[in-house]
Amino acid sequence: MTSNKDVVLDHVSIRFGAYTAVDNAFLTIKGGEFFSFLGPSGCGKTTLLRCVSGFVDPTEGRVLIGGKDMRDVSPNKRPTALIFQNLALFPLMSVAENIAFPLEVRGVGRKERRKRADELLDMIALPGTGDKKVHELSGGQRQRVAIARALAVEPDILLLDEPLSALDLKLRQHMRTELRAIQQRVGLTFIYITHDQGEALTMSDRVAVMNTGVIEQVDAPEAVYNRPKTAFVASFVGENNALSGKIASAESGYAALETPAGLLHGVAAGGRHYKPGDACILFVRPERLMLARDNDSVNRIVGTLEKEEFEGNIRIAHVRIGNAMIRISRVNDGLSAPLAPGENVTLAFSPDNATVLPVSSMAEVDA
Amino acid sequence: MSGSSKSTGGGLFAIGYSLLFFAFLFGPLIIMTITAFNSSSFPRITPWECFTTDWFGALIRDQRLMSGLSTSVGIGIGVVAISVPLGLAGALALSEVSPRLRTALYSVLIIPILVPGVVLGISTIVFWGSVGRLFGGDHGGIFYNGTFLTLAGQVTFIAAYAMLVFIARLQRFDPTLTEAALDLGATPGQAFRKILMPFLGPAIGSAAFMALLASFENYNTTVFTILSGNTFTTALASKVRLGTDPSLSALAVIIIAVTLIGAMINEAHNRRQELLRTGRASRSRLYTNPVTRWLTHPAGIGIILLGCAAALVYAGSEHDSRACRADLIEQKRAVQERLLQEQRQRIEEQKRLQQPSATTPPQPSNNPSPFGGAFSPGGLAPGAAPAPAPSTNPSPFGGAFNPSALAPEAAPAPTPVPSANPSPFGNAFNPGSLQPKP
Amino acid sequence: MKGRWQEFAGRHGLGVALFVGLGVGFWILFLIALPQIAMFDFSLRHNLPPSEIGGAKDVYTLSNYAAFFQSADGSANVLDMGVLFKTMLAAVFVTIIDVLICYPIAFILAHSARGVAARLMVIGLIVPFWVNEILRAFAFRVIFGATGVLNGIGMGMGLWDSPIDFIRADIALYSGLTYAYILLMIFPIYNAVEALDRNQIEAARDMGASWWRVHWRVVLPIAKPGIASGATMVFMLTAGALAAPQILGGPSNLWFTQVIYQWFNEAGDWQRGSAYAAILLLCCMLFVMLVMRVFKVDIGAIGR
Repeated sequence: MTSNKDVVLDHVSIRFGAYTAVDNAFLTIKGGEFFSFLGPSGCGKTTLLRCVSGFVDPTEGRVLIGGKDMRDVSPNKRPTALIFQNLALFPLMSVAENIAFPLEVRGVGRKERRKRADELLDMIALPGTGDKKVHELSGGQRQRVAIARALAVEPDILLLDEPLSALDLKLRQHMRTELRAIQQRVGLTFIYITHDQGEALTMSDRVAVMNTGVIEQVDAPEAVYNRPKTAFVASFVGENNALSGKIASAESGYAALETPAGLLHGVAAGGRHYKPGDACILFVRPERLMLARDNDSVNRIVGTLEKEEFEGNIRIAHVRIGNAMIRISRVNDGLSAPLAPGENVTLAFSPDNATVLPVSSMAEVDA
Repeated sequence: MSGSSKSTGGGLFAIGYSLLFFAFLFGPLIIMTITAFNSSSFPRITPWECFTTDWFGALIRDQRLMSGLSTSVGIGIGVVAISVPLGLAGALALSEVSPRLRTALYSVLIIPILVPGVVLGISTIVFWGSVGRLFGGDHGGIFYNGTFLTLAGQVTFIAAYAMLVFIARLQRFDPTLTEAALDLGATPGQAFRKILMPFLGPAIGSAAFMALLASFENYNTTVFTILSGNTFTTALASKVRLGTDPSLSALAVIIIAVTLIGAMINEAHNRRQELLRTGRASRSRLYTNPVTRWLTHPAGIGIILLGCAAALVYAGSEHDSRACRADLIEQKRAVQERLLQEQRQRIEEQKRLQQPSATTPPQPSNNPSPFGGAFSPGGLAPGAAPAPAPSTNPSPFGGAFNPSALAPEAAPAPTPVPSANPSPFGNAFNPGSLQPKP
Repeated sequence: MKGRWQEFAGRHGLGVALFVGLGVGFWILFLIALPQIAMFDFSLRHNLPPSEIGGAKDVYTLSNYAAFFQSADGSANVLDMGVLFKTMLAAVFVTIIDVLICYPIAFILAHSARGVAARLMVIGLIVPFWVNEILRAFAFRVIFGATGVLNGIGMGMGLWDSPIDFIRADIALYSGLTYAYILLMIFPIYNAVEALDRNQIEAARDMGASWWRVHWRVVLPIAKPGIASGATMVFMLTAGALAAPQILGGPSNLWFTQVIYQWFNEAGDWQRGSAYAAILLLCCMLFVMLVMRVFKVDIGAIGR
């Protein structure tokens, strides 16, 4: 069941000399999906995107779009449209000329071009701005013009390279919703590159987390957040507390880890089988920790409160346990009182809310 | 301004230094401009003789300069047509090659700017001469043609100037624009034509202008490559070397005027562009009022300036300095008359005192005048003997020490004074030196 | 190399790639490299009448170069070597003067002048250089001539009572040369200094550095490539100048380019002229490269 809008990365590696930018990427992006690549800068996600759009050839492997191998298909012949990080709007052209440029180079007549440009301007809710110059638009408007220009190609796949990074916070949040709405309206495959996990998690159907050229995990946003498969994903996506130690015992999907804070239990991620003595890290998110009033929790940590930060909707307490610092966030519900520094606190969490991962957990694709 | 400029070197020193600097820059031009309107046959300010516009006429009547001008225009157009594309090719090549190759290529392409112009000129004629021999062409062939050789010689380094202009522009080009065009379905050729070329447009204009100017003014290379011919600049140079006269100042006035008009129109254009770009135009009072809007438009300014220039040219052509110069001749004659009278008296007295010895009066050539012959670098015409009493009244005779003032424009109208003068000093006064040009 | 070519053609199209390749190739080969080689080859030959070119007598010789070092009577050719030495020395002198004059104005233009003043300054810098080089030299002749403006004023005010011969003293020539290429010194320095962040100067001032020290430690290091670029161009142009020495030079004072010119146009000995041109080129290039090495500047800085 392949559609025209499917993208398959078939064991793609991209090397520049001795430097490996992308290492053996293997995944299928389904037609009509909003798919994000999330990773720190320099992880190879932009290179991968340029490979899909045709500006970089894979050193090994193939890129298939709609089932067709894209090798030797130049960027202007691919059914993709790329939205550049700096948008790359043509400064010497008007807004309408920008949007109609793909039609111009395909030999569409002037009248028809203008009509189509006006339609697209209506679609992005910027009617009547066709004769303006690009520099007369605001950041958000330019953003939308870039999308309209890319859509004028009538591509099957829209590639977006951190297009929101130049916008201010409010606008960025607004554009997230808008991008998602546009994607659902036009029904295209969106491949979205970002280092901002908020963007990736809110907009995407699925997210691929990348690190140093390697795709570490491909999953729905919830799964990426709740069930990270590698130590990198656990620490890169969202806030996390990490406690390292050695496996004491492991059975039926759970593992017990001997840490400086005591024996702690968590889920053995991805159904891994650990042997006693394996070096592992237990991750538990600040919002999954609770201040324990009773003694019946399996996982209990005792420490000293260093300080508590007030962030409005939540409070973040920093608790010292030996050499390690643990953060715990509490909802500011108007009932609980602030903690005093120096106070001894006991923290508790359910084993289901903690993940045990090997120290050097590279991508072990279990698909 | 004062606060921040003080901490970064502004203040009195900056203003004072700038004024001094621009005085140095413009002083020579201003002086030259003034001398264009003095009727004195040597370009100078003091003594001021008569306001005249005749030197402009003398300039236009100079056949050699005018034929050189037409040659120069032809060569200039050719140089622009060849060197701008070459410079663009060089800049594009540099923008794409690997860093190491880039340094090597840049060094090679920049060499023509550094090589002395005479070396370029010589190498050009020697090379194309041997190419000519290779093809067995006679000396009338293209490889021995001054225009062709000048074109080749000038393009060699002017293309490098053009290249520098393009490099500067290309550095500001965002290469993702080309990628965007390709991604949107443009062929590479379309991306080049529709994206990169429009971006380079202003640079093509300024490179062409620079190339034209450089071609027009070039002397060091052209003086070799033009062979027996003449461009405007080589004709000008030989005119200057043969002797100076204020028609050259007149030429400078024309060039400066054209330059200033061009600069003002360009500035108006730039300001307008900036206002439009920043969107302040709609708020500026100058741009909302239709009259001032037209007046600040580059075309409006151009028309006004050209109108002023035309009016000045007309007024200048109507100006007649003959009356003034006649007066001047009269004055000079009076001065000469007085000097001669004094000398005659002195001689009479000497004669009376030395009656018995009956010596001849001292010849001017034996006169150990402090002027000597030292002030005639170009070699004085023999008739230009020093004036008899230089220390007492040197200024009216100043022109006598100028090599040029004597030879070509020797006036046909004889002054009555020397011929009527029986004194043995009579020959010492060169009438031509005192006579303004007709 | 092949990959580069394909990348280039893929980016701009085959037509553009061909145009660039052929254009640069033609330029380098037929306008730069071959003419220089031809001139060098020519300088190694005897001055023969056209009928004997290519004949038995047309053999390579070093005599044209030897003539530069040794006169016909076997003594050292002090005259020509002296002229070359003097030319280079004078060019260095003019270059140094230009650096000293231009550095402050470039700094003022980049960091003190604002708005209208800055624009006027730029126009004011460029306009004089649209005037023909010959006319600029002529202006100095008008000023410094025996009956020129300076002598007229000086004597009119009674400062001196017989004309001073500025031309014989080479004052006119040095002033004219200093003036001639000033623009080529200012803009490279300006471009370099402009990149300097104002805050750096202010920070240095804030830490109590004197003006002298701010320039020596903060501004000059930034300006260095610009100064090198400007100085190289001014030096080469001055050493290779022909018009200004012809117009402003004293009767007994030759510039080396004038010697070359005489061999070509007056003596008709192109071979000797070529040899002398090669000597001039070599000396200038070696000198520039030496200075660049001493000041640790790259040739890539030239023309920026």
